[in-house]
Amino acid sequence: MASVRNPRRSTGSRGGLALYLLAGAAVSAVFVVPLLWEIFRSLQPESTVTTPPSGASFSHLTLANYKTLLSGQDDIIRNLVNSLIVGVLTAALTALVSLLAGYGFGLFRFRGSGLVFGLVLLAFMIPFQAVLTPLFLELHSLHLLNSLIGLALFYTMFNLPVGVYVMRNSFLQVPREIVDAARVDGASVIRTLVSVLRPLVVPGIATAALYAFLFSWTEFLGALSFMTNDSLFTLPVALSNVETGTYGSVNYGLLLAGAVIAMIPCIVVYVALQRYYVRGLISGALKG
Amino acid sequence: MARNETAGVAAARGLRVRPGATPRLAPGQAANRRNMRTGLVLVAPALALVGAFALYPLGFGVYISLTNWPLVGPYHFIGLANYESLIHNSVFLQSIVFTLKYTAIVTLPILVVGYALAVLVRSNRPGSTVFRTLIFLPYIVGLVAESFMAVVELQPSSGTANFVLSKLGIVSDTTAWLVHTGLATTAICILVIWYASGLTMMLLMAGMQGIPADLYESARVDGASWWSAERRLTMPLLRRSIALSLIISVVGSLLAFNQFFIMTDGGPGTSTESVVMSIFSTAFAQTDVGLASAMSVVLVIVTGLITFVQFHYLQGDED
Repeated sequence: MASVRNPRRSTGSRGGLALYLLAGAAVSAVFVVPLLWEIFRSLQPESTVTTPPSGASFSHLTLANYKTLLSGQDDIIRNLVNSLIVGVLTAALTALVSLLAGYGFGLFRFRGSGLVFGLVLLAFMIPFQAVLTPLFLELHSLHLLNSLIGLALFYTMFNLPVGVYVMRNSFLQVPREIVDAARVDGASVIRTLVSVLRPLVVPGIATAALYAFLFSWTEFLGALSFMTNDSLFTLPVALSNVETGTYGSVNYGLLLAGAVIAMIPCIVVYVALQRYYVRGLISGALKG
Repeated sequence: MARNETAGVAAARGLRVRPGATPRLAPGQAANRRNMRTGLVLVAPALALVGAFALYPLGFGVYISLTNWPLVGPYHFIGLANYESLIHNSVFLQSIVFTLKYTAIVTLPILVVGYALAVLVRSNRPGSTVFRTLIFLPYIVGLVAESFMAVVELQPSSGTANFVLSKLGIVSDTTAWLVHTGLATTAICILVIWYASGLTMMLLMAGMQGIPADLYESARVDGASWWSAERRLTMPLLRRSIALSLIISVVGSLLAFNQFFIMTDGGPGTSTESVVMSIFSTAFAQTDVGLASAMSVVLVIVTGLITFVQFHYLQGDED
């Protein structure tokens, strides 16, 4: 990603390197140890989580919180599935719509192209947190409240400015000769995209889909506002019910287990695909 | 390359949209017309979604804000009455003051910590990519899951926070963090700085890596110290990245909701209620959609203005 490195950092003695590794490890620990600690805590019985810590806190570990959470009355599995459905749908829709729009903006010249592109980017300037009520009324009249598809459409819109921007850049980088050659060969627009351009723009698609999935998986306010039916709640909203004890008494053991369940997919997906994420971070933009 | 792309992010914020793509004309008139139609068809779904879920709600919101719209039932126009009543709405005004204070507290630490982290991970020494990944994890995991965890760990007597801090003699182990305005705000600010610094790190690191190495070479030849090279070379050249990360963090703070909703629910009273929370409860608890929309319009204008001012102030004389 970086074409130029700072040479003054790549030189250095062996002692300097050891010092660097030590400092880096210490700083990294500040950001990672709290997350690891919460995984450990979620493995403690509920009674340990809510009583003052002692030596015994470290000896008795159990999956009880997870077992309770994933079975019986709390029904968190359904929420987990809801989150997955919305996340995958959002990622797929964002990738598809961004791919088509990027193709259009990148390789076709049409009147109003600049204006339309500006409008798509402008959407990024409108914080959805601030148009929550009109959105609520609009989704209501479209029968998209309490609908996983409605939520996914809303999330897709939010991810489009980044996705379209990344995809347009991908298409702009396609060498002109390739497009011309396909045209001379008489390939149709879609055929050119599928068989000639696809390999060149797959990284962009991965970036758009990854952003959309992570956004959808961690989004809270929209899901809280647009879903009023318990059985359609996504995981974060269901956890806020666990927190306030809607399902009976407040159980912090369950809350920790639920938060860890929400956290793990983010980490796995990010670590596996991080080069696409960083690429998008630099070339695209971010959720405000 | 990295620098151009960062500039692209600024364009994506809609602040300085460069005039269109490289012109790619197809040979021949007929081909041209077909080209044009195909282009429009390809971008139509994106335009439809953005129109339906961003541009339309914005206009609709302005319209609703001029009515006494309840969540259900008939409504009528009341002109600017909602906006006038906002001036006397103490809960809303308090939420504005609180949100501004919160933004003022967290912005500088996020920038400074993020800058320091970027200096740590920008090199290509062994380990730097691993550190980068680890430090960025809290941002990836997201504030929602972390806020739930923080609620558990900030409980008096049983939470890890008090356990550690009381051992260090900083607070008593019965400190109830989330029921005092000051303590709750402190805890939330620390959580947010921890969460958000990684993002600033990534944005600044990308900017730093785009600075040509020979500039540092000549600075070193001139006998510049590390700090003076950092101050006279890196920081001015990083202006654009700094502006961008500031805009993202300030706008994010002004729109904060999750951490307050989860950790304090705005309490005690409404003392830790953010602007978005105020809008949320006006719309969905008090079902005064007209008033909530007026609040929203104010918020859109304020965030837009702050973005604009920050961008121009930090871009300033660059061109």
